[in-house]
Amino acid sequence: MPRESMYKLILAFRYLYRRRISYLALAAVALCVFIVVVVMTVMDGLVGDFKEKNHNYTGDCVVGTESLVGFSYYEDFAKIAEKANYVEAVTPVIKSYALVGVEGSGHSVGVEMLGIDAAGLSRVTGFGRTLHYHKNDPAKAFNIKSDANLPGFVIGADLWSMRDEKGEYYHTPNPEATALSVTCFPLTAKGALAKAGTDVVNTKTFYFSDCSKSGLARVDGSIIYLPFDEAQVLCGMTEPAKRASWIHIKFKQGTNIEEGCQKVREMWGKFYDEHKGKDNTELLSQVSVRSWKEHRRESIAGMEKEQAMLMMMFGLVGLTTVFIVYVVFYMIISHKTKDIGILKSIGASCGDVVVLFLGFAAGLGVAGSAVGVAGGILFLRNINRIEGWLFEWFGFQLWDRTIYAIGEIPHRLDLTMLAVVTGCAVLACLVGAVLPSVGAARARPADVLQVSQL
Amino acid sequence: MLKIFLWLRYLRKRRVVLLSIAAVALSTALLIVVASLFNGFINAYEQSAVDGMGDVVLSPGRNFAGYAELEKRLEEIKSVEAATATLSAQGLLHLGRGNVRAVEIWGIEPAKFGKVTAFERSLLKGGAKKVPDTFSAGYVGIGVLAEPNEQTDEYDVNNAERMIGQQFVITTGSTSLTTGGSTAVEKDGGKKFRRKTIQFTMADAVFTGIYYFDSRLVYLPIEQLSRTIFPDSQEPVAGRIQIKLRKGADAELAIAEIRGVWKIFASEKLGWEDYQIQSTITETSRQMQSRFVAEIRKQMGVLLLIFGVVSLSAVLLIFCIFYMIVETRRKDIAIMKSCGADSGSIAMIFVGFGAFVGTLGTLLGTAAGYIVTKNINEVEGWIRVAFGLKLWKASVYMFSKIPSEVYWQAVWWIVLSAILGAAIGAVIPALSAALTRPVKVLRYE
Repeated sequence: MPRESMYKLILAFRYLYRRRISYLALAAVALCVFIVVVVMTVMDGLVGDFKEKNHNYTGDCVVGTESLVGFSYYEDFAKIAEKANYVEAVTPVIKSYALVGVEGSGHSVGVEMLGIDAAGLSRVTGFGRTLHYHKNDPAKAFNIKSDANLPGFVIGADLWSMRDEKGEYYHTPNPEATALSVTCFPLTAKGALAKAGTDVVNTKTFYFSDCSKSGLARVDGSIIYLPFDEAQVLCGMTEPAKRASWIHIKFKQGTNIEEGCQKVREMWGKFYDEHKGKDNTELLSQVSVRSWKEHRRESIAGMEKEQAMLMMMFGLVGLTTVFIVYVVFYMIISHKTKDIGILKSIGASCGDVVVLFLGFAAGLGVAGSAVGVAGGILFLRNINRIEGWLFEWFGFQLWDRTIYAIGEIPHRLDLTMLAVVTGCAVLACLVGAVLPSVGAARARPADVLQVSQL
Repeated sequence: MLKIFLWLRYLRKRRVVLLSIAAVALSTALLIVVASLFNGFINAYEQSAVDGMGDVVLSPGRNFAGYAELEKRLEEIKSVEAATATLSAQGLLHLGRGNVRAVEIWGIEPAKFGKVTAFERSLLKGGAKKVPDTFSAGYVGIGVLAEPNEQTDEYDVNNAERMIGQQFVITTGSTSLTTGGSTAVEKDGGKKFRRKTIQFTMADAVFTGIYYFDSRLVYLPIEQLSRTIFPDSQEPVAGRIQIKLRKGADAELAIAEIRGVWKIFASEKLGWEDYQIQSTITETSRQMQSRFVAEIRKQMGVLLLIFGVVSLSAVLLIFCIFYMIVETRRKDIAIMKSCGADSGSIAMIFVGFGAFVGTLGTLLGTAAGYIVTKNINEVEGWIRVAFGLKLWKASVYMFSKIPSEVYWQAVWWIVLSAILGAAIGAVIPALSAALTRPVKVLRYE
């Protein structure tokens, strides 16, 4: 900084230090920054965690159709996709609805059914990590210890057991191979009932082999996983040509997901053109290629919107901070007209005066943000301890873990968010200080330094 | 009078005071909107249970026969207006080519069910009374037929109406001690899961505005459902009794009477043991939701606390502005004191002015909060049109419309707190004004 401008820095510090009223502006900025940092970190953590779980659940890219009829030639496309240099793994999935009943319990429930190749899905998604008993060997997810010949099923954790107050599920060390009767409507390639006029539905008994905890309440509370081939038979997707609902794809590390999806789209377009006109290809026209975000958009959008609304509300409340800064500067400047008059009489320009006060405002914003961020970090570091203490003494939990699939309260700081919040706080201070600074700059030494004014 | 004169004068002459009014108004409006939306959601949630289930639900935990007589006995209780039996099961509904949905089937007596719940009001074409209870007709939730429009979140009512009269197939099942029938389970002995399919004609579509009911439920006549899934039972069975109470009836008293009637019925007619009777749950539909409601209330409290803390900055603002006013009005204050005003009355001028500013701010804020809350669906619609952002979806927030009732109980607290906060913000400047010494301020030099 040039020596002739040093006075701006000195004066800015002096006003901040000596004018106690500026502490109030600092406190207001710190308060707002503290609250925003805490709330946004928690909210960001929840949304980020939710997105990550959705990504783990889906893989990077999905090729398929929402129709329960599925599409044919999926094996051919999977083979082509596997050979692409940017693709790590590929796996087909069958999606349908099933009615399941635990034998002997008298209960039956309608669920979403996914037919999967456990090993393949574990390579593409985080499915293997969600298992309880076969976490280390997900390829054997459907194997039952007591009898390897029995067909196994994996079930969403919320369908199988209750969460305790810490959000944990109870699992017995040696689970019983509980029998579950699974009923589906087999559909023809045209979507009609495959067994119309006869028994209409297909039913088979499966036995409990594992449960899956993806951390997504809707998934864990509504999905049962069956071996791919068994599900294909139950849903009537073996005739006239084999069909699947989705092909999930994982890209090699370093591949940009959007670029990867675009390449798969082109690959699918070529595949479709080559197969058009062959037998059983009518369903191929309904197939779309989506990134995991597009595929799970319906689930994710709600949380993102809530986060945006919360930010908007904080923005509105933050306006008060701008008002405070305005008033504080107005007061300081009205008390410092003589300083301004002297500065201008010894050569400071209007711009210099504006820069002096805006510099002061920026300093105030930075100091307030620093206090707010420090308080926020301290609070966030201990947020789970505080919640634990509140729960122990008062039975208070921020979220009832028996209702919500939330583990620890997120507290990982996002440096970008911190930078944005600090930037906004400094900007708010600058906006609040603009009018008083301009007013100060327009003061005329001849007016403010009159003897009658001194 | 002098105080009011001074307040109005400061208000007119010191425009900066308007900023504090704006800050108070902003905070008040925000808190009112947040509290009203949460409370509206809670009320709608509780009301949805009443609309769907009636006022009181008697759930024995197992199915029972002879429900017609139980209904009759319950209706003899003074506080009971109507009682109806229901039976529920899970199923898969085949709606057409490639369209299968997992659904919950409720066996109902349509006419009586309409008396106990809001079922009749929810029918697209109306007229549940016209349909005989034994007729092989069913009612399907509008969301079961098709998902709402992604942009507008509205259902295609015309499409639903076109489907009325069409035939659908539903598959369901039950467990039974009997063997044979269409059971597909190869296991021997014990209870067996029996698969059943039912064909029915859609008599009407049901649009309650509550996502769960609209997207999950299919209603079939209870006798038909019972006969299908429990073919071995001599009489049709029910799983629970849903009861509507008379207006103004004491719910607790009514529950005690209902329990009494049930006890006699279960022991005399069903021959149930005491422990079986004791395990029956009789509670209001609001009590059934109480755990979830408590959780939402807690979240509302946390959010209000956060916004309340942030709103403290409005108190700081008032402090700054009043401090500035006092600093620039020292001479006025000194003149008033030299004319005989004591320190207390000087302090009261500023504390009162703080409360006055708070009152004006809360008036504006309450008006703004009221207008926004009452028109929240329109506001959401404008946001959708202007930014293409659909903030409210029934699939996420359960209801088709955003509840738009103002939560007056919270409004009073928010208004009082805001006025008190504004007065507190003025206390220190008021004390500073009260401590003014005329002899110092009014010196000639």
